[in-house]
Amino acid sequence: MNNFEIGEANTLWKRWSLNAKKNPDRDAIIHWVAGEEPLRWSFSRLLESAKIFSAHIRALDIKPGEVCAIIMRHNAMFYPLYLGISRTAALPAVLAYPNPRLHPDKFRQGLEGMSQRSGLDYILTERELEPLISPLIEKPGSTIKAVYFPLEWNLNESIDPKIDNEIENIANSVNETDPFLLQHSSGTTGLQKPVVLSHRAVLNHVVHYCKALRLSENDKVVSWLPLYHDMGLIGAYQIPLAFGIPSIQIDPFQWVLAPVIQLETISKEKATLLWLPNFAYNIYAEKINEEELEGISLESVRMIINASEPVRHDSHEKFANRYKKYGFNPLALTAMYGMAETTLAVSQTTAGEKIPEVIVDRNKLQNGVVEFAKSNSITRVCVSSGKLIDGCDARIVDDKRNDLPDGFVGEVAVKSVSMFDGYRNYPEKTAEVVENCWYFTGDYGFRYQNEFFIIGRKKDIIIVAGKNIYPEDIEDVVNQVEGVIPGRVIAFGEEDETMGTEQVAVVAETKADDEQSKNQVRMAILKAGMTIDVNIHKVYLVPPRWLIKSSSGKPSRKANKEKLISATDPQVWSR
Amino acid sequence: MISTELKKVILKQLNLDDFDLQDETTAPQVPGWDSLNHINIILAVEEHFKVKFKSYELLRLKCVGDLQKLVDSKLGR
Repeated sequence: MNNFEIGEANTLWKRWSLNAKKNPDRDAIIHWVAGEEPLRWSFSRLLESAKIFSAHIRALDIKPGEVCAIIMRHNAMFYPLYLGISRTAALPAVLAYPNPRLHPDKFRQGLEGMSQRSGLDYILTERELEPLISPLIEKPGSTIKAVYFPLEWNLNESIDPKIDNEIENIANSVNETDPFLLQHSSGTTGLQKPVVLSHRAVLNHVVHYCKALRLSENDKVVSWLPLYHDMGLIGAYQIPLAFGIPSIQIDPFQWVLAPVIQLETISKEKATLLWLPNFAYNIYAEKINEEELEGISLESVRMIINASEPVRHDSHEKFANRYKKYGFNPLALTAMYGMAETTLAVSQTTAGEKIPEVIVDRNKLQNGVVEFAKSNSITRVCVSSGKLIDGCDARIVDDKRNDLPDGFVGEVAVKSVSMFDGYRNYPEKTAEVVENCWYFTGDYGFRYQNEFFIIGRKKDIIIVAGKNIYPEDIEDVVNQVEGVIPGRVIAFGEEDETMGTEQVAVVAETKADDEQSKNQVRMAILKAGMTIDVNIHKVYLVPPRWLIKSSSGKPSRKANKEKLISATDPQVWSR
Repeated sequence: MISTELKKVILKQLNLDDFDLQDETTAPQVPGWDSLNHINIILAVEEHFKVKFKSYELLRLKCVGDLQKLVDSKLGR
């Protein structure tokens, strides 16, 4: 284990500079594009390029503390740009590049909402998005001051030493408690919450999480995770960069087309560590042709960390069974529990040890009681997300935020030395979830022998392939579909065991009564989902007044999902 | 031009009765064809036509017409 001392460098820029000084030629980032030679950023070259970007940022009069949102596809210049922004003491924030499926108006609305909420000052993007983003500057109430295209900047000019010195002085004047970055708690655009993390929060996290991971100088991270996601940004980008080890970055869009790329990369680069959402285990276990695996070796893998959606026992088993013959050590399977608000990790299982699992009575668990399964029980295998990492504390609490003893399911509340400083420009939301320095996560779980098991969510968020989707967003667009009775729609997540994730289901009331018109309504619902980049997997159509209302007068997601599952109702049409 | 056979395999996988699939149609234009389903569609096409695709071939696919050409080349058409 490398000795990582915050005292040596108390901001990220100072830490990166120190890494470049200690190991100038070591790979920092290996930018991977399938079929091409990877572009290798050594620590020293990365820092030098970051300095050039910082001079451009400074020339644009971007001030310390201002937020620079980066919206960019997989590009080798992303990394020095990000570091360059940080050098000027501005705050980098990575936002998702719009998927072609997303309607341009929805992208604009989402960005507009996010900019007002997060207080985005500048957008740094690709020229292609100019027509979409530029009109936002003129909008009343817009916080966006300008849109820039850093990929067009001249990076060959040397920096004026005076300016370079001036920026270095700015970087050196930054305190560890100053904000370092802005990341968004994952969710659909309009509802994302802006999380500001200080240098201290991130560096503390590097210290404690790296200890839990037993990270060493021999480790090498490989990731296709998008950098707007906390697991990609913190786990696979910030941690290795601060710790001083290489990180291989694969294009997420290429990964979804050909997931085997990551396995090839592991084999070629002898990567040791990766984070994956649960669905990826199923894809690797069942959706890759055997012929494609010729020459693959996973012997170098020390840890695969399952996080960002519920960890499923079957997914781990399938993966381990398939890849044992490719040198994969099943004890490299681990799990983590974390969130953007605590920088990333709260708990982590130990590499080299089998992940603890408990088999409990499913019905009792639904009622909040953890009881080991008996021979006649309907069972559920719960997979541990590990013990608390140093610097973190957690409690299981009831609805009134009173502590619950072990053996009961409740909301997970956490406290961490890497805690966020509240949601930016959103004090009312911060007050809702933070009380006496405890962050109430909205996740349901239980503790057993100091291991934390996460089993569900207080809110109805749907997690599809690691992406959080708010049902409200889906219901909003489906409510506008012709043939659907407005206000009489619910969206929820349905377990897809084959894919190892949840899928989106919609229940809508309609007056359509024949097969053809029901199919037309279904198609319109699917298309409505597409406009917000949500794939609606299953549509249930029901007659008027079928949906049960909650006390608020709105259709209840929970009650209607149960109604749907519990009995076969001939009035329900589904496809 | 997209063959009726390929169209049928894709639509079956997407649980759609009909959709106007043209050469230039891209996945994001088709209901249900997201990244999770993409891999299932590819596997269904492989199984139906008894062909195997390489990852670098899949990375080059931009539209349904490209998939048709790839299937044709595998079948020696």
